[in-house]
Amino acid sequence: MKKIFTILIIITLAGSLFSYSLLERETGSYTGSLDPRSIAMGSASVAGGNRLLDSIINPGNLPLMQNKLGVQFYGGIITNFDDRSLPMYNSFDAYCGDATYVSNVHPFEQLAGGVYYKHKLSNFDIAASFIFHPYIDFTSDYLEEVRNNANSDLNSYPPIIAKNYIEGEGSIDAFSVVTAVKYKELATFGIRFSKLMGDANLKRRIIWSDYSFGKLDTLLTNTTNILERDFEAFQVQIGTVINIDPRLSVGLSITPKVEFDVNGTKDSVNVEDAVYTYFTSLDSLQNVIIVDSLTYAEYYAPLTFRAGLNYKPRNIMRTNFNLDIEFVQWSEINKLYDDAYNFYIGVEHCLKNKIPIRIGFNFQTNYCLNDHSGLVFADKVTMPAFTAGTGFTFLENFLFDIAVEYANRQYETLDLFMDSYYWGDDGAYEDLWENSYYIELNGGIQDRGWENPDTVKETFFNIQTSISFKW
Amino acid sequence: MNKFLIIILFCVTLSLFAETKEELDIKHKELIEKYYREKNKNISKVSGAIILPEKIDLNTVSLKELKTLPISSEQAEDIIDHRDYVSFFKSIYELREIESIDQVTLNKIKPLVTVSHYDDQDETAQRREEIYYLIERLGSNEGLQEGMSDVWEDYLITPRNINKLNFSDIMNLPNASPIDVAAVLNRVSFGDSISSYRDLRKSPGISYYGAKNIRHYVYYEDKPLFQDLFIDYQMKYNDDPYPDDVMDMYRESMIRYDPSGELQTPGIKTQSYWGFFNMQNDRAAVTNKLRIRYQNEWKAGFLYDSPKGYSDVFNSSTSDLFKDSKFYVGYEKELDFYGKNFIKLYAGNYRATFGEGLVMENTDYYSPRKTGYGFNKRITGIIGDVSRTQEYALRGFAVDWKRKNLNAVLFLSQDQKDAVVYDSNGNGIFDDDDHILSYISMTNRFTDDELEAVEEDFNDYPDNVNIIRIAPRRDCLQENIIGGHLEFSPWIGTHLGVTGYEATYDRDFVVPEEDELKDILIYHGNYYDKWKITDNEISSMYSTISPEIGDRDYRRVIGFDWRTVLNNTSFQGEYAELEVDGSLGKIGDDPKALILSAYSQFDNLYLLSIYRNYDLEFDNPYHRSFSESERFDDTVYEKLTYALNNTLLTDMYLNSVQPSAEKGIYFETRYQFNTMLTITRAYLDLWERKSDARRGVRFEAKLEFKPIHQFRIRLRHKHQVKRYDNEQDRNKSQADESEVKLLFYLSNFNKIQLGYVYTRVFQPPYLSILSNPALASGPDMAQASTLTNGDMIYVDYTHNFNRNLKVVGAFSFWYAEGASFWDFEDVELDFDQSDRGFKYWFNIHSRIANNLFLSFKYKYKQFLTRELEYRKFNEIPEEGEYYFQRVERKENIIRLQLDWKF
Repeated sequence: MKKIFTILIIITLAGSLFSYSLLERETGSYTGSLDPRSIAMGSASVAGGNRLLDSIINPGNLPLMQNKLGVQFYGGIITNFDDRSLPMYNSFDAYCGDATYVSNVHPFEQLAGGVYYKHKLSNFDIAASFIFHPYIDFTSDYLEEVRNNANSDLNSYPPIIAKNYIEGEGSIDAFSVVTAVKYKELATFGIRFSKLMGDANLKRRIIWSDYSFGKLDTLLTNTTNILERDFEAFQVQIGTVINIDPRLSVGLSITPKVEFDVNGTKDSVNVEDAVYTYFTSLDSLQNVIIVDSLTYAEYYAPLTFRAGLNYKPRNIMRTNFNLDIEFVQWSEINKLYDDAYNFYIGVEHCLKNKIPIRIGFNFQTNYCLNDHSGLVFADKVTMPAFTAGTGFTFLENFLFDIAVEYANRQYETLDLFMDSYYWGDDGAYEDLWENSYYIELNGGIQDRGWENPDTVKETFFNIQTSISFKW
Repeated sequence: MNKFLIIILFCVTLSLFAETKEELDIKHKELIEKYYREKNKNISKVSGAIILPEKIDLNTVSLKELKTLPISSEQAEDIIDHRDYVSFFKSIYELREIESIDQVTLNKIKPLVTVSHYDDQDETAQRREEIYYLIERLGSNEGLQEGMSDVWEDYLITPRNINKLNFSDIMNLPNASPIDVAAVLNRVSFGDSISSYRDLRKSPGISYYGAKNIRHYVYYEDKPLFQDLFIDYQMKYNDDPYPDDVMDMYRESMIRYDPSGELQTPGIKTQSYWGFFNMQNDRAAVTNKLRIRYQNEWKAGFLYDSPKGYSDVFNSSTSDLFKDSKFYVGYEKELDFYGKNFIKLYAGNYRATFGEGLVMENTDYYSPRKTGYGFNKRITGIIGDVSRTQEYALRGFAVDWKRKNLNAVLFLSQDQKDAVVYDSNGNGIFDDDDHILSYISMTNRFTDDELEAVEEDFNDYPDNVNIIRIAPRRDCLQENIIGGHLEFSPWIGTHLGVTGYEATYDRDFVVPEEDELKDILIYHGNYYDKWKITDNEISSMYSTISPEIGDRDYRRVIGFDWRTVLNNTSFQGEYAELEVDGSLGKIGDDPKALILSAYSQFDNLYLLSIYRNYDLEFDNPYHRSFSESERFDDTVYEKLTYALNNTLLTDMYLNSVQPSAEKGIYFETRYQFNTMLTITRAYLDLWERKSDARRGVRFEAKLEFKPIHQFRIRLRHKHQVKRYDNEQDRNKSQADESEVKLLFYLSNFNKIQLGYVYTRVFQPPYLSILSNPALASGPDMAQASTLTNGDMIYVDYTHNFNRNLKVVGAFSFWYAEGASFWDFEDVELDFDQSDRGFKYWFNIHSRIANNLFLSFKYKYKQFLTRELEYRKFNEIPEEGEYYFQRVERKENIIRLQLDWKF
């Protein structure tokens, strides 16, 4: 009991550590599947999920549990590699590649857990569960060191004049109750009610170094921008699994759009008055005009509809094949987004010694908002992921699953911290620069706009595990 | 001593509890009797013997019945699970493969159960099982044999009676030579019939390799189709990055200032197509292909290919979907009408290939040294086309009719083609009145709206002197083709054929005079001296309007092809003319192309000789015959991207598919000395490029030594020289490449390969980039020829977990100062060109079910780029001081292929 209590405390404490990338630092990222068996199979589990945590993808999966009572604990480490580069030009002035100027590697943890009970009643199996799991994650971490242009020919680095930070914390967690029923071996139907609540705190800081204060003590002040929000909402999801025959089953789940109650401030301004996206257009004279806007207080989770199949062929290795297609109605949460389809595919082979080998693939779409001289666009950012995993049983009733996931994506964005800031208005911070003469030749430090954006290469390497115990 | 006593004590204790074998047998017997007493109260005893009821068949028993056995219900469920999801039982001892069935349980139920022969695999599944490895091999070769693997796969699944096939049917099978085909048909023509593979091998003149390959595709009698409907679906996902040369094209700046002025081109990413279209974010390529076949008579196919950067199927408009997809419906039938007639009718997209490909072979993909033999086959005649070919696709209607010694084909096509348009009327825009320069196969098929937007942006850039005068446009050329092929075969192995087509256009192809052409193609006069004699390949392209030929709206090509087989030698050839200023019926008065070849076959040897001679003006867009290099090699399209008026014209070279105008002779052989030593392939090619009389020699030989079956050593050496006759000219380039590979065949078809490649390249100064010509007074930069060399080591491993799960992986590392390597990976050919790098990849092949296949490939590649590059932004302290930097690039590539075959 003491151990369980300790685990629950850890889950609660760790709930704020969920992580992802800078791309979604304001919108948060959806955590998706949390069962390592499904993750190893490309997160395709709307029909073939047979672990407790698969019921957050499709509540219809819940009665497919083999035992009467069981628990599952999940823990994952997500490592985000974020490389930002600026464009380079060759001697013919052609863009020829990118030079990475800042790299960030941050690992983060994820935890989830739940318990279920299943009861047989005549031709019906009735099951219920309680699951705690992260739903949207706002954690991010970024550090950039700004150095001046001092000579480095004595094998020394130029001094740091400032450090730039972006630190995101918080998540929206779900406390879910899932109930589901199975009729014979024909079909299941389930429903999930989730209380979604959490907070997000995003800080953007520019901290001048001691070196800089030594040079310009009176002029410099550190900068901190803070976005703080609390979220609350209620979510319903329904799902079903229909067994077409003993080999083939089809699963469907639908999660309607969720509108969150949001409170908070952005740099001391109430989020209801802080604009997140401007919707722009061109007038007859080709001037940019703002036609509408979305504030930080308007926060939604889009409608998703997911359909998939599970196929169990006769194979010399026991085999499961899962395939899911997910429709996400992004257009409902931001007019600049298009609706998107995500694909998930996975296979599980059990080798002769009963060790399963699981491989999978998925392909998901996200959006990145960009401002081009006042006109706001949304660029589609796609991310393919490759997954693999295995699992084993120990001490009879314990089941351990492990999955690794590798994904990468690439997108363009503006410099997170514009360079001219470190030169100051009209060269106010000139003294921070060792060879300011050369900078002055170019008329000061110029900001890079969309003509020379950053190329961001992001890689995720995730290791996810779970332990299930069944009675 | 104490330990010894303890062990004895332990053994004695055990023996007290242990049961003797006799006791165990008695126990089992009691158990069995108890089981039958419960199962059947009416057990009768005759003279003390028990008459046992029928044993339970594990392959048919229900779960309820199984639970009556003396086993737990979990064990019963596991048995049913194993039968349903793993395999039927071939022996009761296979019960031990079930985790919950231990030896004691097996002993207990052994007398009570039996297994009958039972299998749920139908004949299609069995056939697929037999030829699975061949289908897998075809799939892996698809890149090289575009579109053909589908046809061969159909033949594999439903083999045909070899005694009823005609010449082209057998000739279209992989690795079948004309001599093999003649050997088979000669036997059949004498009333003999081939009854087995052994019998096939006895056909006089047939080669071992020919028979070995043919056997997979044929039966020896009429067999009814075991299935009427065949469906094949394939999905491919591929997120390869753009190749280096393609990236260079898109990244090149389109904003140029007067080279003699003081303005520097700004380092701005959006001044290039790459930056403007944000091609960094281009999505991966996805291909969906569906093929349906009914009774080997009705055929249909559909393909939607969205290459990298292209809109996906969900975001395409209906009209674009129709334009960009490929589809066909076909009907093939043998009819009795005054003898046997074989009819093929195709509507939609189709492939048309005749003779040696001089007149017509419509594919977007160039293949060097396409001999038409061995692995470089072409399937002649008409077939349905759902390949990725887009620009040279034919869409319309085709009929192919064969009788005993006559073959007639008629094809009609109406399709819109991408083309290069230039502002010929000088009104500053590209409109319908402007002339066309040529067809173009675009790497990224930007829409016209996109191109107009980017051109406006570039043209309006302050002080930019490069106003776009020439540009590709999508679907801007209406091409109507009517063509045909007539072939007469007086005797087996011999035919005479004539092929021709006329393409009519709604717009004019006009290639301006050389000075005007330079002005259109090159943005500034400072670079006109880069225009070389090689660029005659551009200026000699076909015009529908010219002072010599007047005003036309068509292009006509006609050719003759022939073949005859004499003993063990086959002679064949094709001659074609493009009607320019002569008459269609007169031979020799127009630009022409000729290819002649002879192929001799012996037991352990073959010899192939090919002579080709293509005129520079023979500009037939559907010409795909044998050549060493593709058209526009070495022209401004390849070497002068930075000075082209529109960098997109580089696609003219990058995706060039027509053979270069060249004449030369090619020899190829294979010789098996004995079972241990074989020259697997050796060839020598001597040729001259027509545009500038540059001569080339290329020799490559591969030797295999097999001291024992499990171990092989393969050696390969390639030598290539390209030079002009003038000894003083430094334009000689020479490349040598040597490779040694050790192959170990392990148990369970596992395989390991270790290899080493050494390459050496001797090349002239890059004159088109260096501004100084090779003159005594000029150079201010060293212009000596350079020697680069590099090497690569690699290891490949294939591991079969079982017959349904295979992993292939490789690691390679190279160190080369600018030299390059071709690396044959399992399903593709990868080009590694960089200073230093490494890569590893693995491919997992999973056979999910007999008709469902998944393969997944991941590749990681890290290398230093070849060019010296410098970081410019905010980093130019003083003129002349640059930060030079080698750039490391990392590539992650994911591929997925899913095949479902019904």
